[in-house]
Amino acid sequence: MFEADILLEDIREILSAVPFTLFMALVTFVFSTIIGSLFALAEYRNIPILRELIFVYKVAFKGIPLVIVIFLGYYGLPPTIQFLASLIGINFNGHHTPNWVLLVIGVTACIAAFQAEVIKGALNSFDNGQADAARSLGYTNGQLFRRVMFPQVVIAAIPDLTNSIMVIMKALSLGFAIEVVDIFAQSQLTAALNFYYLEAFVIAVVIYMIIAFLVTTAADRLERSLRVWT
Amino acid sequence: MLELKNIKLSYGNTQVLNGVDLSVNRGDVVSIIGPSGTGKTTLLKCINYLVKPSSGTIAFDQLHMDYAQADKKAIQAIRLRTAMVFQQFNVFKNMTVLQNVMDPLVVVQRKSQDEAREIALRELDRVGLSAKRDSYPSQLSGGQLQRTGIARALAVRPDVMLFDEPTSSLDPELVSEVLKVIKDVTSSGITSLLVTHEMQFAKNISNRIVFMDQGVVAADGSPAEIFDAPANPRLAQFLQTELAFH
Ligand SMILES: Nc1ncnc2c1ncn2[C@@H]1O[C@H](COP(=O)(O)OP(=O)(O)O)[C@@H](O)[C@H]1O
Ligand SMILES: [Mg+2]
Repeated sequence: MFEADILLEDIREILSAVPFTLFMALVTFVFSTIIGSLFALAEYRNIPILRELIFVYKVAFKGIPLVIVIFLGYYGLPPTIQFLASLIGINFNGHHTPNWVLLVIGVTACIAAFQAEVIKGALNSFDNGQADAARSLGYTNGQLFRRVMFPQVVIAAIPDLTNSIMVIMKALSLGFAIEVVDIFAQSQLTAALNFYYLEAFVIAVVIYMIIAFLVTTAADRLERSLRVWT
Repeated sequence: MLELKNIKLSYGNTQVLNGVDLSVNRGDVVSIIGPSGTGKTTLLKCINYLVKPSSGTIAFDQLHMDYAQADKKAIQAIRLRTAMVFQQFNVFKNMTVLQNVMDPLVVVQRKSQDEAREIALRELDRVGLSAKRDSYPSQLSGGQLQRTGIARALAVRPDVMLFDEPTSSLDPELVSEVLKVIKDVTSSGITSLLVTHEMQFAKNISNRIVFMDQGVVAADGSPAEIFDAPANPRLAQFLQTELAFH
């Protein structure tokens, strides 16, 4: 059933999609984490109006199926971008926005809602007595955050934050719907040429598993090396 | 040197402090006793503005502040002149013992690393923790954590020390090591406010005892007046239950 030379060729082709998939995942991870952190901080500090807006945002993006968000982005973002560019006097044809950018924006928008919950949980797990102690000693809020809260909160959040790298990897495979070629889409395309569907998907599965293994191990190591105090 | 007048505070609908008056002279060691939930912790937290009273005034030497118009400068000035020791220790978990004591000196007082280190090592020696200076809080006993908290507070050279039930969350066998340190601190002449349930200890180290009950100061006097001849019936009853415990 498995023919070695076809298999090797398939592996080579599917592997070629790995760097770009990882690149998109990384960009998505970075932006969704930044946005999620800002949301979580706004909620933690209980800033009126922002707090309500973020709540609505989270309900929306946790509730709407990702594939719909991706299509909304695909059809809605180019004209929006064009319009916004025209407002600041730039003549940009929004339809020249690469599809992968639209995909990354859509996935980022969804994952940010989840990252916000992760960071919020880590913030809530912070023992506030330490904040009392710091304030009583004259720390400003900024000093308290930098010296005491941030180091503890980041480490508390690492396992769940890195979890979302894998969620992002999987979410990106929906990019197939708007012709973005990631690992999954490449295995699909490869199989369509030689009809070795099972083989192509098994290869994709193995690649995803290897990435999951590497990401999880790296996260564990990172957490352990940073968590010098437990 | 420290005078609180008519402090009122409520959490939501529950009035916790109902107009507390308290004045402390330089060098005083004042122990605050009273039933749980009566607002002792809250009162200490008012002093360094960890909670916000709805009304009342505080005077700290020349400095006056009305809590209704609290201003940042006055709050910071008071925070820099007081230091608090907490029931739950509240040491910084991401720092070693030494870093805990040094950090406020470097971050708030802008001292050099070398100077901060020198001061911190001296205070750690004073509380008997030199050997543990590179340990993290997770590796310490409650008694050691509290002594770290005390060293951190002493290192900033406060005019007033605020102790909030410093031994209440300790295992019984660890209480005495912390009391010994506190006694050393209070007998050095630093003005201290101590909330405690250790009646005998309070009697020994204090020159004044304040009995708080239901959000007000219900009795205030020398240890002899409070312990040997309690005039207030609720105080007498409180002392009886406390003594029955120990
Ligand atoms: N952050 C808070 N929010 C709401 N209620 C509180 C808070 N802190 C304390 N209380 C309540 O205020 C009352 C006084 O608390 P506290 O000052 O800790 O008393 P004490 O130290 O004398 O035991 C208690 O009834 C307590 O439940
Ligand atoms: Mg208390």
